[in-house]
Amino acid sequence: MRTLPLLATVAVLAFAAIPAGAQRAAKIPARLPDWSGLWVPEGNDTAISGLPEAATEARAEGKTPPPGGFNRPLFGFGAPWNEEGKRRQAARQGETANCRAQGWGFPMLMNADAPIQFFVTRDKVMILNAYRDVTDVRMAAKHPSEDDLWPTVWGDSIGRWEGDTLVIDTIAVKNPHDYFHGAPPLSDKAHYVQRIRMDKPHHLVDDITIEDPTTLTGPWKAHLAFMPAEGFERMVYDNYDNDRTECGTDSGIAPPKDEQKSSG
Amino acid sequence: MRYPIAGALALALCIPAAPALAHHSMAMFDQTKTVTLSGTVKEFQWTNPHCYIQLMVKDASGKDVEWSLEMGAPMYLYAKGWRPSVLKAGMPIKVTINPLRNGDPGGVVLTATTADGKQIGRNLSRAVS
Repeated sequence: MRTLPLLATVAVLAFAAIPAGAQRAAKIPARLPDWSGLWVPEGNDTAISGLPEAATEARAEGKTPPPGGFNRPLFGFGAPWNEEGKRRQAARQGETANCRAQGWGFPMLMNADAPIQFFVTRDKVMILNAYRDVTDVRMAAKHPSEDDLWPTVWGDSIGRWEGDTLVIDTIAVKNPHDYFHGAPPLSDKAHYVQRIRMDKPHHLVDDITIEDPTTLTGPWKAHLAFMPAEGFERMVYDNYDNDRTECGTDSGIAPPKDEQKSSG
Repeated sequence: MRYPIAGALALALCIPAAPALAHHSMAMFDQTKTVTLSGTVKEFQWTNPHCYIQLMVKDASGKDVEWSLEMGAPMYLYAKGWRPSVLKAGMPIKVTINPLRNGDPGGVVLTATTADGKQIGRNLSRAVS
């Protein structure tokens, strides 16, 4: 019986020694949602041209493409930009001609026409797309301290479960536009909260709220939805080794890569 | 640019469509023109951020001209049933494209068929002849 108080003390000390973030694990639901498989954002069906299916079909038939393009609310055309945000948006519009991109970064990885997948475990959720963009979500209570923050194009994400809803809190995202020219030109002070859940079978929704005192007048809310990706038997990741575009030009594509090598 | 005013106007008209872009703007392609090319595959580049078909096409004088034909990223082609091995050097194919505005032999591929008219992969939800 003497061992019981000792064990209890050890247990208490052990619990106290667990980082605050890990204690959050107590709130993890006993049964985690099954979001397995590959998912694509709704409204972004892409033809072999790299353009929307409807636009490609119209062009192939010599008709005027229908208005609108991909469903990209995170481009931010409806966001409540303040004067600085409007200035950045206008500058972005002037920069988009034929610019290179290395991927999508955050938050655009949630709104790209690339498949994504969710790896859901008890202490971590990873959201990964075919461009190797990743949101690595720790089931933790706090972000690192200001001194320990490491801003990246994917940011720092912590998460928690509210029933079957995964709430992801992301900060420390470098200006997304610096990575992908089509991304919203938010500042690295932006705060992103995503609420992801399966609202019906084979259908995920992501309600995202973005606050940024530098570029927005108030919360910017966007709604994304995902459906199972068709045609993908497996996820394949590939590097970029054939980017022929030249940012700032609007006139053409560079020579084939073998000619670039021989001329270089 | 050969037609600066027309080009600038066309670019300006394309700006509202900017949300359609993925990796880069598509303003360099003339979406008002659809051209059909028949030729022989020199190389199929299954690469990021875009696939390319290097297609040898005979011009009006019978001379071989190499066209650089841009496509979407490999993942989009994969989802439409394309594979890295689907086009081989020497294979005759027919493509419809929006050509480059600057007159260079290039464009963006809208549809692709074998020489006898069979759709390669699933270019679109429904075949376009």
